[in-house]
Amino acid sequence: MSNAYLTYAAKRLGQAVVVILLAYVFTFVVVSILPGDPITSVLRNPQNGFSEQEIGEIIAAQGLDQPVLVQLWHSLSGFLTGDLGVSMRSNRPVSTLIAEVIPSTLILASSGLAVALFLAFAVAYGTQVLPKRYGQGLLRAFPSLFQSTPNFVIGLFLIHLFGFQLRLFRVIEPDSFWATLFAAITIGIPFSAQIAEVLIANLDHEAKQEYASVARSRGIGQRRLFTRHLLKPASLPVVTVIALTVGELLGNSLITETVFGRTGLGSLVQRSVSTQDLPVLQAIVSLGAVVFVLVNLIADLLYPLLDPRVKMVVGKKYRSTAAGEPSLDPTKAVNP
Amino acid sequence: MTFVSNSSLPVSRWQEWRAALRMPTIVALSFAVIAIVIAWSLAPQLFTTYSPVVGVPADKLLGPSLSHWFGTDHLGRDLYTRVVYGTASSVSSALVAVVIGVLFGGLIGLLAGFLGGWVDILLARLVDVLLSIPKFLLAVIIVTAIGFETINAAIATGISAVAFFARVTRSEVIKTRQATFVEASFLSGGSRWYILSRHVVPNASRSVLPLAVLQFGESILVIASLAFLGYGDPPPSSDWGLLISIGKDYLKWPWLVYAPAFVTIVTVLSVNRISRWLRKTD
Repeated sequence: MSNAYLTYAAKRLGQAVVVILLAYVFTFVVVSILPGDPITSVLRNPQNGFSEQEIGEIIAAQGLDQPVLVQLWHSLSGFLTGDLGVSMRSNRPVSTLIAEVIPSTLILASSGLAVALFLAFAVAYGTQVLPKRYGQGLLRAFPSLFQSTPNFVIGLFLIHLFGFQLRLFRVIEPDSFWATLFAAITIGIPFSAQIAEVLIANLDHEAKQEYASVARSRGIGQRRLFTRHLLKPASLPVVTVIALTVGELLGNSLITETVFGRTGLGSLVQRSVSTQDLPVLQAIVSLGAVVFVLVNLIADLLYPLLDPRVKMVVGKKYRSTAAGEPSLDPTKAVNP
Repeated sequence: MTFVSNSSLPVSRWQEWRAALRMPTIVALSFAVIAIVIAWSLAPQLFTTYSPVVGVPADKLLGPSLSHWFGTDHLGRDLYTRVVYGTASSVSSALVAVVIGVLFGGLIGLLAGFLGGWVDILLARLVDVLLSIPKFLLAVIIVTAIGFETINAAIATGISAVAFFARVTRSEVIKTRQATFVEASFLSGGSRWYILSRHVVPNASRSVLPLAVLQFGESILVIASLAFLGYGDPPPSSDWGLLISIGKDYLKWPWLVYAPAFVTIVTVLSVNRISRWLRKTD
């Protein structure tokens, strides 16, 4: 832990806090200032059957009669003290609503991440070890195919094949083991495609380096070369890819939970969108931003420790110098 | 001598063109797919004789056959026709999304990279904030705020792509600004505006183009996802995502899902292939 590292970490931490606060303000602006008025569209909707007095109470409780800046101030200070407000629809604290569903989404997202890593490394291993003629081309086509496939199509395909044809699980029991597994695969596959693309490009780059040729000339086998030499330098940038795409896990869980009929953060978003429950939406979206910023903060702090060649520059996404020019798009290969 | 060199000039230029246009078969196929998709969206009535809205109840849920390429849906409507008629909004909305992303993102990146200083710091923070909100969630709240319509879904998708294009353009602009030829142009009296329009923008746009094509494919997917969740135009419109969403309730007749899914995947694959080819040939 050098002094330079601590300074870097402190700067990076400060930056993260600023970004989280601004992201909160930004979502607040989007949900409250843009056209589309929840009071008229939901509360006054005759289907929901609120009386004028109840509407008045809800407006007063939410502080919707105050100027926007005052609302923002209340909302932001609540957020900072951990108070996420009260749902407009059910009158329950938003934090309770989120706490109820978050375990299910965490299970789904983490097993999805596990599936993604397993698949990506398996495919990358195959592209290095399999003979050029058989299998390699197919494996190399895998990332671009699955980046072009909508998430929900993968989910529906799995439900159709394993639920309807093979009867491995029943669609009406979304929390059973098999259903959870296939939901995790649904989330994992597009994610694995992104990881695999970067991984394969890095492996190809490393395989051309001199140290790899030296190892080969000493008679090392492809497999040993992969596990002993290529794997470590090639998989470091994967940390950055995961950190940059972690926010999409939340977005993808929204779709996957809908397809599989699971309850979770995604279905809570769906419900809040259809009822225009702004406090809940605001809380979940800013939670997504918090998760993204924190994960990236951790990745940035870990990176110089994992790869000593990396320079510590605040405000830039850096990558290993071996990986060449910093590429701005995490999904596009990092090698020159 | 002069005669020979004169006559060979057009030939060599023609060859240059051919060399520039030479592409692998798969890329040519991709262009063919995109051409068909564009034709579908411009003149759907040329490609089918059925109506996309009115069905024949007696013919409901038929499997794919010669008369109904993709089968028919629960109301007896020809699914191929529905897909063809849904192309216009599925694809042109993706175009709207890309234009929004490239224009606004490009402008932010250009200002940040070219002006530098506090403008750069301010805009970089803005971009950080936009990037920190998960893209799909951002699109969802924007479309919630402005209303459930396909065009609004496209706007939301475009806004969620602004940050990405801002970053790319900024780094390209900075790279170009430091180049020797820009310095030379400045020393020989080129104004800021001249350098910007003559050197910086063309150079930056060259590397933005393949990414814009890539974003086009991704926008098709995001807009399809939004339509799948019901945030696009309501039925009887037939956006590809909406068709799949309707089909999911009829999984016993799987072509209702697989046919529109297949068209979506092939289109996006082709777009991505073209983007990759553009990046390589550049």
